[in-house]
Amino acid sequence: MSELTVEHVRAMANALTLPVQDDDLAEVTHRLNAFLAALEPLAELSLETVEPLPSWLELE
Amino acid sequence: MANDVAFLEAGALARLVREKKLSPVELVGIYLDRIDRFDHRLRAYITVCREEALETARRAEASVMRGESVGPLHGLPFAVKDQFAARGVRTTQGSRLFASTVADRDATVVARLKHAGGILLGKLNLTEFALGGAQEFPFGQPRNPWNEEHDPGGSSSGSGIATAAALAAVTLGEDTGGSIRSPAGWCGAVGVRPTWGRVSRAGVFPLCWSMDAAGPLGRTVEDAALLLGVIAGRDDADPTTSRRAVPDYVAGLRRDLSGVRLGVINELVAGADPDMRSALEAAAALLRRLGAVVDSVSLPLVPMAGAVFMAIADSEGAGLHRPWLRERGAEYDRGTRRRLLTAALLPAAAYHQAVRARALIRAQVHEALRRHDALLAPMAPTAAPLIASARAPITSRDEAARRFFTRRSFGTPASLAGVPALSVPCGFTSSGLPLGLQILGRPFDEATILAVAHAYEQATDWHHRHPPLD
Repeated sequence: MSELTVEHVRAMANALTLPVQDDDLAEVTHRLNAFLAALEPLAELSLETVEPLPSWLELE
Repeated sequence: MANDVAFLEAGALARLVREKKLSPVELVGIYLDRIDRFDHRLRAYITVCREEALETARRAEASVMRGESVGPLHGLPFAVKDQFAARGVRTTQGSRLFASTVADRDATVVARLKHAGGILLGKLNLTEFALGGAQEFPFGQPRNPWNEEHDPGGSSSGSGIATAAALAAVTLGEDTGGSIRSPAGWCGAVGVRPTWGRVSRAGVFPLCWSMDAAGPLGRTVEDAALLLGVIAGRDDADPTTSRRAVPDYVAGLRRDLSGVRLGVINELVAGADPDMRSALEAAAALLRRLGAVVDSVSLPLVPMAGAVFMAIADSEGAGLHRPWLRERGAEYDRGTRRRLLTAALLPAAAYHQAVRARALIRAQVHEALRRHDALLAPMAPTAAPLIASARAPITSRDEAARRFFTRRSFGTPASLAGVPALSVPCGFTSSGLPLGLQILGRPFDEATILAVAHAYEQATDWHHRHPPLD
């Protein structure tokens, strides 16, 4: 998977009106790329039929 | 002598108070003295309620002397993470944004401890907003009492320090993805994350509604069990709390382990360093000698738990913090701000995938717990790292992944699965840093993990060792 660049992240933040300062931009980009890479293997799991329940629910 | 008293078990202290052999005023004074002597170095506390604690102690002493009926924690000084509201006391969330906020009511758990006779000694340091990953601490850098150059763990940093260093009799923390168990493990204390829904979160500042859990830290399993019994149970102010009856956790501690089935989580042992692996193997061997049937169990998705957890918890946190990030972003610690901004940019599709992956991880944990009474794992891959290592800049994607996801895969499976888990001391590294054994149990079966931990603890002497502060 290609990585996001600082410019991509700046554009995303601007679109969402999130105030990402220049000082933060490089690290936020590394963190976001780490997230996307770590979550990529989830695509190999069969998740379509999994109910996305948030927690173990106790029915009373 | 005062040191000996400070390190006594909570139950023993409460007994001495009830029997008029120890004055609550004297006991509060002992802990205040230790705070004065050591906390300028350790920075466990954000706020010390000195006068209020002494005044409450005087009333508690008078009550005992009059022979009145008293609660199970009567006269016992406790402290809580500064994420818990305490009426009339500054409640900062470890952040400049709330530096002068004073709570107008008690969190339910604080009210329950007070009702049981506990005396609030103060509010404890934490990583900003209980998020973890803070670079700077506005109220002082918390330090590990076993080696002050090392991280005490987080986010309930002050709770781990104050418990291990006897700066309070017992403490409360909050655990979203390991925030009670991590400081307990790295500081050499016992910390319990209860089943989600076992303990009220009313008055506890949220991070992630579907995983936040308040719980106790103590120097022994019995201390933690005593506290859990007081704070657990239905609370109408928190509709997620269960109506199940709360067992007597202390009475249930002395259980024969013969035939108890324990599974060691392969993937987490494989990810630990040699010190942690040998401590865990020794703990498993000891539990076998105590009668438990110990085998290994594979949970293949667990190595992904850290990333899945952060995708969910950080996204929820980013949603909560979004207005403040826009208006007051500069007041956040830069580590907190960058973590929240990253999560705010994470695509909703990634969050949705993570929520579904969570259901699979939960199914693996629950399936393993159908075949075992409890699961064993290292609390962390290593002992406490250097504080300086957490402050180093992140200069690559791989560095970010290593720092944020790998370690979190140890504490987060219990959080994702909604099951109870605890950390109990299981040894020391050659450099003298504590190691924590993690025990996970079935939903609402805190009693079993406490009993296993207690049997292990009583067969070792780790809990008799104290940090070298003098």
